[in-house]
Amino acid sequence: MDKDDPTRGADTHWSQVAQRHYEPNGNGELTTAIVYTIAEADGVSPSEVKSPPLYEVVDASAIEDAFFGPDVAGDSRQGVGTVEFRYNGSLVKVRSDGWIQVYEPTEADLS
Amino acid sequence: MAEESNTDEQATSDASASPEKQLPPPSILEIEPVYQALGHPRRRYLCYTLYEDTEWSLTDLATKIAAWENDIPDHAVTENQREEVYVSLYHAHVPKLVDEGVITFDEATERITAAEHAEQVLTALEGMGASLNSRQETHARGDMNEKEN
Repeated sequence: MDKDDPTRGADTHWSQVAQRHYEPNGNGELTTAIVYTIAEADGVSPSEVKSPPLYEVVDASAIEDAFFGPDVAGDSRQGVGTVEFRYNGSLVKVRSDGWIQVYEPTEADLS
Repeated sequence: MAEESNTDEQATSDASASPEKQLPPPSILEIEPVYQALGHPRRRYLCYTLYEDTEWSLTDLATKIAAWENDIPDHAVTENQREEVYVSLYHAHVPKLVDEGVITFDEATERITAAEHAEQVLTALEGMGASLNSRQETHARGDMNEKEN
């Protein structure tokens, strides 16, 4: 559970290693877009990202509904936000503008 | 069964004390897995495949669903199309259907098998597919009907 503690490692420095833009009206699903971004960050093919299943980490369909859900009263919702979660030591951010970003911790500050 | 009915009697007497706190027994909430299972087009496709066979490898399943979605024969499915479906099944829809008791998934062999709630989900699909889903899932049902004939 420690790795999910948001207060852990206030000193941790994160650097972005991959990003991908999710197209809500495209063919793919948000789950797939997140896994593809993680795969790119890890330098593996998407089908090699296995453990844990994203389902066990975050409710991607809830994020999809919250940020990219259907129009309400003929217009899209205007909410702005970011959901962050950890996946195997990486930090994943899903932004309401569609950008998915994967960060990895950097070693102790070199400066 | 005998144990269950004892429990029911207890629940009934408790219910008279505080009726608003009693939930109906799980047996009459069995419709829930049906709604959960069928709430996404890919999960509906997956459930249709259970008509054809009650056991599938995840790769074969991904090929089949990619073929249906793109309206092409199985052999014309590209590696990218298969991988996209495979990833969404593995990371979202298969674990969801396992949670709902519709299938089981063996992580070592990557095979799915129909589970205890599969039958009621298939029964529901059979009933609503024709009127509600016909445009989207004609080809899936076509395969299903060929199988029956």
